Amino acid sequence: MTWRIALQLALSGLSVGSIYAIVALSLAIPFKASRILNFAQGELVALGAYIGLVLTSYGLPYAAMVPATLVIAAVFGVLLERAFIRPIVGAPEFTLVIATFAIGLIIRALIRIHWQDNTFFLPAPYAGPALAVGPLRVNPAYLVIIGSTAVLVGLLVLFFRRTRLGKAMRAVSFNQTAARLMGISVGTVFGSAWALSAAIGALAGLLLAPVIGINPEIGHLIVKALIAAVIGGFGSLGGAVFGGLLLGLLETYSGALFGAAFKEIVPFGILIAFLLARPQGLWGATQVRV
Amino acid sequence: MRLSHAVIAIVAALALALPALGSSYQIYLAELVLINIVAAIGLNLLTGNCGQISLCHASLMAIGAYTTALLTTRLSITYAVALPAGVAVTTLLGASLGYPARRLSGLYLALVTLGFLEVVSIAIEEFPDVTGGVRGLSLAKPDLVGWPLKAGALYYFVLAVTALSIRVGVSLQRSRYGRAFNAVRQSVIVAQALAIPPGRIKLLAFSIAAAFAGLAGGLFTAVVGFIDPTEFDISASLRQITFIAVGGLGSVLGSIIGATVLTLLPEALRGVKEYSDVVYGAILLGALVLTPKGIVGVLAMSFGRGDGKARLP
Repeated sequence: MTWRIALQLALSGLSVGSIYAIVALSLAIPFKASRILNFAQGELVALGAYIGLVLTSYGLPYAAMVPATLVIAAVFGVLLERAFIRPIVGAPEFTLVIATFAIGLIIRALIRIHWQDNTFFLPAPYAGPALAVGPLRVNPAYLVIIGSTAVLVGLLVLFFRRTRLGKAMRAVSFNQTAARLMGISVGTVFGSAWALSAAIGALAGLLLAPVIGINPEIGHLIVKALIAAVIGGFGSLGGAVFGGLLLGLLETYSGALFGAAFKEIVPFGILIAFLLARPQGLWGATQVRV
Repeated sequence: MRLSHAVIAIVAALALALPALGSSYQIYLAELVLINIVAAIGLNLLTGNCGQISLCHASLMAIGAYTTALLTTRLSITYAVALPAGVAVTTLLGASLGYPARRLSGLYLALVTLGFLEVVSIAIEEFPDVTGGVRGLSLAKPDLVGWPLKAGALYYFVLAVTALSIRVGVSLQRSRYGRAFNAVRQSVIVAQALAIPPGRIKLLAFSIAAAFAGLAGGLFTAVVGFIDPTEFDISASLRQITFIAVGGLGSVLGSIIGATVLTLLPEALRGVKEYSDVVYGAILLGALVLTPKGIVGVLAMSFGRGDGKARLP
């Protein structure tokens, strides 16, 4: 493997990893707020892509379609939280896991009823032939994905450090009772966390659509995002990003070195290894078992 | 108890008389109901009694199905040997999953079992020379040591195996192990204080659930005659969870009722076949939110002592 191929692989690994990182972030935000892991997040990613598709078919230009999609997804996230998640927020973990799975199943089935298993392509203004950057051939979509991830992470850091809502979310995640006593509306925080998460999921769908096309199986991505979240530690936002990027790189390099079947297996090897040796992930807080 | 004995007698009589009364399609449906009952009993022991989430029950069923199918089709081994062999292989793999999983619970267990599900489906799809891959695998007609299982005989065979599984399920639940499962679900610390080793009990629950799943898979190959990986994906696992969540967690009767109602429901809703996943998802969500104890809990409330404590098996 020459250094040129190694760099080329690093670039595609980082772009795949960025998508994992974005979805892992969208999993981590509601988890941090309410300790609920949304197994329907993959379907929210798919839904984002389909919303984009519908808006584009109505003739909305790309620059208007993206923010509109994010807003619609955020509203959908709030509705989902109010209708289904809020009533079972204190339920046993079994109920929470299976309920979010059921929501995902319903969304995927509805998408399949309307669009079948066809793959659609979402036109993006930046899609085009590979650029020559020095000795490398670079797909512009990869650069957009990596760039958007970097911007998203920056915005989230600002949001959680500087804004009232961001601080309120951190307070609720730290200690719900104390946050309530300080006058923070925990319900609003839960709703906002789901809105933010759904919008970030939709962003992943929009970024992914021009590269691999839109079909109901996009939701499968959640498995990789879950592994990324396990690597970084659930509820750690930095960990989610690191885990996503690491997983993308490992997958790409192992695929190039040892073949496609190995590439499929590697993520699960990592998952099992982490859950056995370090279930709290690299940055997750250690939980006291009671 | 007289009422319940009468109900059991009527159901048994109907089940025995079905080949004489029903069409071949109705017999086929009844066989699917029986297979789903076997799978649901296993899952309910693990999830309902022992409290362990499993998202890979369908993959364990796949392992049983593929083992039985490959032994009968490729090696021409009689079904009478292939079926127990499938159960044995599935039990071993279930135990090997349970071994690392016994230290985990809740969310992390859900992730490990989800990973197992993915690995099994990758394994089936990546070795098409052996498993038929995504195109599936057609099977030889089942025979018990040279005696072919024709339509009616196959039905009675499945019925007998299911009846045996129900009996085993009830006995297991009432045994010291069944009580240990319940103890581990309710509190690991209390279980330990009662000298119940939680790790070993969870491992046992995983192995037993796998054995039932493997048996269901082996029966499935004989009844359907064709298997492919989509039969055993995450929606299949969720359907099985729906059986027990709707029927009643931790109850063999709940497994039977849930599997029966939810296998026949899509038939009742024929014409809206594409909506079946939507209907399943909605029923599952509704059952989780509205009736945590399932149909059996509702029945116990109406016929039982009125305090909602299910005294049904």
